[in-house]
Amino acid sequence: MAEKPIQEEKRVFMTGNEVVAWAAVAAGADIMYGYPITPQNEIMHYWTRLAPKHGKKFLQTEDELSAGFTTLGGALAGRKSFSATAGPGTTLFQEPLSMAEMMRIPVVVIVQQRGGPSTATVIYSQQEVNMVTFGGNGEGWRVVYSTATHQELFDYTIKAFNTAWKYRFPTFILGDGYQAKMREPLVMYNPEDRGIEMIKPVASLGLPGTPGKDRDAVHLRNTYSVEEELYDATMPIQEDYEKMSKEVVEWDERNVDDADIIIISHGVVSRAAIAAMNRLREKGVKVGYFRPITLRPFPDEQLQKVAAKCSNFLLVESALGQLARLVKSALFNMPIDNFDTLYKPGVGVTAEELVQRIEKTIK
Amino acid sequence: MAILVKIAIAGEGGQGVQAIGDILAEAGNEEGKEALYIPNFGVEQRGGVSLAFVQISDEQIGSPKFQHGDIVIALSERAVARTKQYVTGDTLFVYDSSLIAPPEVADEAVGLQVYDSVAPEAQADAVSEQPKTGKVELPKNAKKVIGIPATDIALSELHPRVFNMIILGATVRAAGVVDIETVKHALETKLGKKFIDDPKLRELNFNALQRGIDLVEEALQGEENNDQKDV
Repeated sequence: MAEKPIQEEKRVFMTGNEVVAWAAVAAGADIMYGYPITPQNEIMHYWTRLAPKHGKKFLQTEDELSAGFTTLGGALAGRKSFSATAGPGTTLFQEPLSMAEMMRIPVVVIVQQRGGPSTATVIYSQQEVNMVTFGGNGEGWRVVYSTATHQELFDYTIKAFNTAWKYRFPTFILGDGYQAKMREPLVMYNPEDRGIEMIKPVASLGLPGTPGKDRDAVHLRNTYSVEEELYDATMPIQEDYEKMSKEVVEWDERNVDDADIIIISHGVVSRAAIAAMNRLREKGVKVGYFRPITLRPFPDEQLQKVAAKCSNFLLVESALGQLARLVKSALFNMPIDNFDTLYKPGVGVTAEELVQRIEKTIK
Repeated sequence: MAILVKIAIAGEGGQGVQAIGDILAEAGNEEGKEALYIPNFGVEQRGGVSLAFVQISDEQIGSPKFQHGDIVIALSERAVARTKQYVTGDTLFVYDSSLIAPPEVADEAVGLQVYDSVAPEAQADAVSEQPKTGKVELPKNAKKVIGIPATDIALSELHPRVFNMIILGATVRAAGVVDIETVKHALETKLGKKFIDDPKLRELNFNALQRGIDLVEEALQGEENNDQKDV
């Protein structure tokens, strides 16, 4: 029996990239494939330090296309495999990830968003929402967890491996450069010590026995000859995705019942939203808060229930309407009182400016 | 009301700005508080102003960066210009009144200039030549402006390499949110082995720390005395 990666629950103070590497070890990941890009590089750095101590492996590939496909290969061989990327790297990951959607390959990819389009900044944004939710050629059959704190980076990285292997859809942790590089406290633990059962990976290819004699042949396809054949293959995947959605969808809502205005945000920006809500509540302004944790599948019904109570919204994101697109789709055909937006592509959002904005609009 | 102290520290690469921010946040964490430290980082490998953002609170901290700092520390002429945007009427602004080209440091054993907890690009390791022009305009809107000749003192009284320990001490006193003993403990954790190998290092670093505390203490006392005279 291998030594536990984390001896006992403990409070630590580290960068988000370090948190991800530790979480992957705690989740029982077997191998990371990767290609360097800021701001996720230290996930690779820390993984390569931790991996040999825990009997795990690392492969640096020649680019992100290759990193994506090798990650798929690892999963097909029955290894818990993952990768991490950002920005233009996420763009290149779309091709392997759409293959994972078609062939139901359970891979985990951590995306630490940087500015876009193109090289832009290496620092921060929320501009990779479109890409991680619906980036490939296909229907967006992915699970995307958008984290806000180091504790969530740890918790959801562990969870992502179970989601991927249970439902066999590619699963993203969507962080950002701020979360990657900042240090803050969190509690690390072994999932098993908290009663979280980690799903054992199984190989899809290279199984023992002779195909057709000892067992059925494995035939994983991403290529179809005629339209109807593709239709027959994809509709059951869509059904599985819809069935899974009810089980994996996650969101956070606070103070919505008596709210006069509700801030909608996701990821690290939601920290500013909570701080702004708390400050304004102290002044007697009834501010509520809604945050999708899974951006895909999106908590449509949950948001609709909130909108039925109060639909005076302020949507804020570090992008030009990428979260807003998902929100508007969820609220389609609902009566909405007001839909105010604060878009700051590639720039952080502070509690101060949210407080100012709401104080101006409420008066 | 929740306590939240926001601190911005800015200087030239090599002055150990990131180490100051990191140790400060580490000390906050050791006291069981919520602490968040984030460096500025970009594509440049060296040069440019190095900025560290630190927040210490008793509840979860909002956005990692902020618009206005309670304490703003500027350690070079360029850093003064770069940090003006973070200064408001509530800000205590501390600057190095020596404002000369900073001492070059390549040894992490003294003064803790570089270590590997953040990305290499977050820590410029070369010293930019920033000659003193004497044309620095200090922020006029700050609550208080304190000049401390940290570089001069490091060079003449202590050791050029403990310059950032003077600044760390000054920041600890100015912020008043973490105990100096916790900061010393955080330093012991980081540099313990080197301190054991050479106890003089501990003394040198801790002396510098205390010197920084005293400098701000004196400046604040002086202001108080002046205030009393005005009355």
